[in-house]
Amino acid sequence: WGPLEKFLMAGSNEINANEAKKVVPLHTWILISNFKLAYNMLRRPDGTFNRELAEFLDRKVSANTVPVDGVYSFDVVDRSTSLLNRVYRYLSPENDSGRQLGAGIIELEKPLSATEVVPVVIFFHGGSFTHSSANSAIYDTFCRRLTGLVEGVVVSVNYRRSPEHRYPSAYEDGWEALKWVHSRSWLVSGKESKVHVYLAGDSSGGNIAHHVAHRAAMSNVEVLGNILLHPLFGGEERTESEKRLDGKYFVKLQDRDWYWRAFLPEGEDRDHPACNIFGPRGSSLSGLNFPKSLVVVAGLDLVQDWQLAYVKGLQKSGHDVKLLFLEKATIGFYFLPNNDHFYTLMEEMRNFIRS
Amino acid sequence: MGPYDSSISSNSTSSACSSSTKPPPPQQPPEQMDHLLAGAGYKVRSNDLTQVADRLEQLETVMVKSSPGDFSELGNDTVYYNPTDLASWVDSLLTELNPNVTVHGSGPGDVSDPDPDPNGFNNNFPVNMNNNNNMNMNMNVYGEFGQQVVTPVEEDVSIRLVHVLMTCAEAVQRGELSLASLLIDDLQGLLGRVNSGCGIGKVGSFFVDALSRRVVNSPQNGVVQVDLSAYENEILYHHYYEACPYLKFAHFTANQAILEAFDGQDCVHVIDFNLMQGLQWPALIQALALRPGGPPLLRLTGIGPPSMDGRDPLREIGLKLAELARSVNVRFAFRGVAASRLDDVKPWMLQVSPKEAVAVNSIMQLHKLLGPGGPRGPPIDLVLDWIRELNPRILMVVEQESNHNQPEFLDRFTESLYYYSTMFDSLDACTAQPEKTLAELYIQREICNVVCCEGSARVERHEPLVRWRERLTSAGFAPLHLGSNAFKQARMLLTLFSAEGYSVEENEGCLTLGWHSRPLIAASAWQAIPKPSAVTMGR
Repeated sequence: WGPLEKFLMAGSNEINANEAKKVVPLHTWILISNFKLAYNMLRRPDGTFNRELAEFLDRKVSANTVPVDGVYSFDVVDRSTSLLNRVYRYLSPENDSGRQLGAGIIELEKPLSATEVVPVVIFFHGGSFTHSSANSAIYDTFCRRLTGLVEGVVVSVNYRRSPEHRYPSAYEDGWEALKWVHSRSWLVSGKESKVHVYLAGDSSGGNIAHHVAHRAAMSNVEVLGNILLHPLFGGEERTESEKRLDGKYFVKLQDRDWYWRAFLPEGEDRDHPACNIFGPRGSSLSGLNFPKSLVVVAGLDLVQDWQLAYVKGLQKSGHDVKLLFLEKATIGFYFLPNNDHFYTLMEEMRNFIRS
Repeated sequence: MGPYDSSISSNSTSSACSSSTKPPPPQQPPEQMDHLLAGAGYKVRSNDLTQVADRLEQLETVMVKSSPGDFSELGNDTVYYNPTDLASWVDSLLTELNPNVTVHGSGPGDVSDPDPDPNGFNNNFPVNMNNNNNMNMNMNVYGEFGQQVVTPVEEDVSIRLVHVLMTCAEAVQRGELSLASLLIDDLQGLLGRVNSGCGIGKVGSFFVDALSRRVVNSPQNGVVQVDLSAYENEILYHHYYEACPYLKFAHFTANQAILEAFDGQDCVHVIDFNLMQGLQWPALIQALALRPGGPPLLRLTGIGPPSMDGRDPLREIGLKLAELARSVNVRFAFRGVAASRLDDVKPWMLQVSPKEAVAVNSIMQLHKLLGPGGPRGPPIDLVLDWIRELNPRILMVVEQESNHNQPEFLDRFTESLYYYSTMFDSLDACTAQPEKTLAELYIQREICNVVCCEGSARVERHEPLVRWRERLTSAGFAPLHLGSNAFKQARMLLTLFSAEGYSVEENEGCLTLGWHSRPLIAASAWQAIPKPSAVTMGR
């Protein structure tokens, strides 16, 4: 970095900040910029990660068995894996009888419903495989909304993160969570008395949801649908959207590269099948009982070309996929209910699950 | 309100329901915190939003200029405080990078409003309300070779056990003792069917025991716990100290903060509200010995119960500590103050000199003062008042993070069932004996006190951090934030424990230690705001 580059960089960052500020509401801009700058401090050039500072900075919230806006939550540790799942449940006002603190326990003796279908969404939080946790405030808030939206249960999985735990740890944790959910008698609903499972995730969580669904399809484990919120995919090639949007809306391509290097096995490149689903090393999904998918793409996300390629890949394999393209959305648009895209997304997710 | 409601974290605000023709009166006091960012865990005043945005922009430019290509330098040595206060977080980064820039507006630790919780933010995510329901599922039954086997039958019995415990507690609350007795028989039966060596079986048996004591002995007035001898107390305490990291975390974090508060001071005086075996102090003495510039003169005043058996435990510990101090060349003086209750202590007994920097150290002691008051008023107010009069540079408070002081028995029972289940869960990871068994007995005494005792006999009146913040703020103390270095070192301490479930979290300038995501112990540091009138000390 010569002295001239410094000034060029500084200049272009000012332009970028102004562009993003025009498109993004103030609160969102503050929130995502804060993450961006903090995350910059955590990634080291040698590929290691300042986990201590990351945990210090991450705002966490505890579970709460007292319903707030109809949703209560509690944490469960799966002893065989030592993994934490946070379970959220929606209690409609008519059902909220009895002492609240006890409600969480007593309800777990019975299935969710003997007659109605109650969806159970397994949610994988984002963070590029590296940041955040199931009990991060932004994800706790999001999962509460999702729970109220589908009027069911959300299970948020605290999967192991990179660089400490690389591929395939997160996928294995997702798979364990799926099996765990399917085997809970208290998550069963409907006349068929089974657990009605959906998978969902944002960013890296979306990537995990895909891979877990793939494994489920190969193992005959039922998943009723996938919701992928600007899922993290990539490849060696530099796509047009990556070049065009690099550094413009909170994310730089070199950051994306860092996270893939931290997640993929050492020495691997971005055409690894974990990353490039329908690329040269991907496997075919044709003929598999793969669930229907809702793929949400943010128009200002530099990764969109890979997400669109994913959608095409699913279609070519004969699978049911709906693309929700939100033109003016940036990453993280769904954290705050202060923009149209947020409400569109809520509506679409609700329809996808309740249909 | 539906799921689209923008303020998921607050039940209280609603401007949509007014049917009058006038515009609704402005509901926001000038110090209003922004709702949206609150849902993300940040406290920013609505009025400050634009300013924070500007600062973030500035910060990015400055970051790029100062270390283009590698911002991780910033993460390495600098100490950060209270990330919830986003405005001061950004400002502290700005001043860190650009010391010449004057920062207007709020400074670190300055998000002080008259109502510390205007949105009910804390009430809706009250730490005391969460639970770890692993006692209901995936019970760890150890197979022959220590493997963990889950049997579905076991799970059903565990769930039933908890259900009947709650029903029994309800019966006790309503005064239906014969029903409660029958339920206790039920519970004994259920206990026989679960593995009582661990998990819900273990902690459940302590709660069943506590309930049956309460039912058998004058339940309205509660039982009076039999006092252990000082020696027996010490044994249990020591094994609790060894078996799990809660006390070590308390001591460690307190010492860090005290060390910082004593920076540059030549005469320092630590007042320990419960000396016990003085386990906290060797580390501080050694740290002071190694201080750049040399150690100060250290005085330690240890408070403890009067001894009944002719020993003088305070003096014995004092001598040992003096010996240690001598060996590392720290000038040291010790004084023991015997008092059965903290509100029996008078400031003059502590002989604080105006030249000294004072640190008051309270590890799990303040909650004992929340019981019924005497003629002089609530004990907690009395004690906080004389602490303030000492004008300490730091008041270190570590307390159990739970609400076991609710007026209704059933609420206390439920809360403590969750809390101690989690604590026992963490103890399961300890295999050393007799540490583990004796640590369990130590905890059992707490459980018994919370569940069986009433009135002045009930001393384990734990309250959560949220409440202590309110109390200490109204008593004239300002927070001293524990920063990222204390956080980092606490995490390192935990790696010494093989159990991978302990978690340290940062909570608005305080640190908590918990098991998985449930905080169990909270540490906070405070500074006395000097009283407006002239302060006289050491009367």
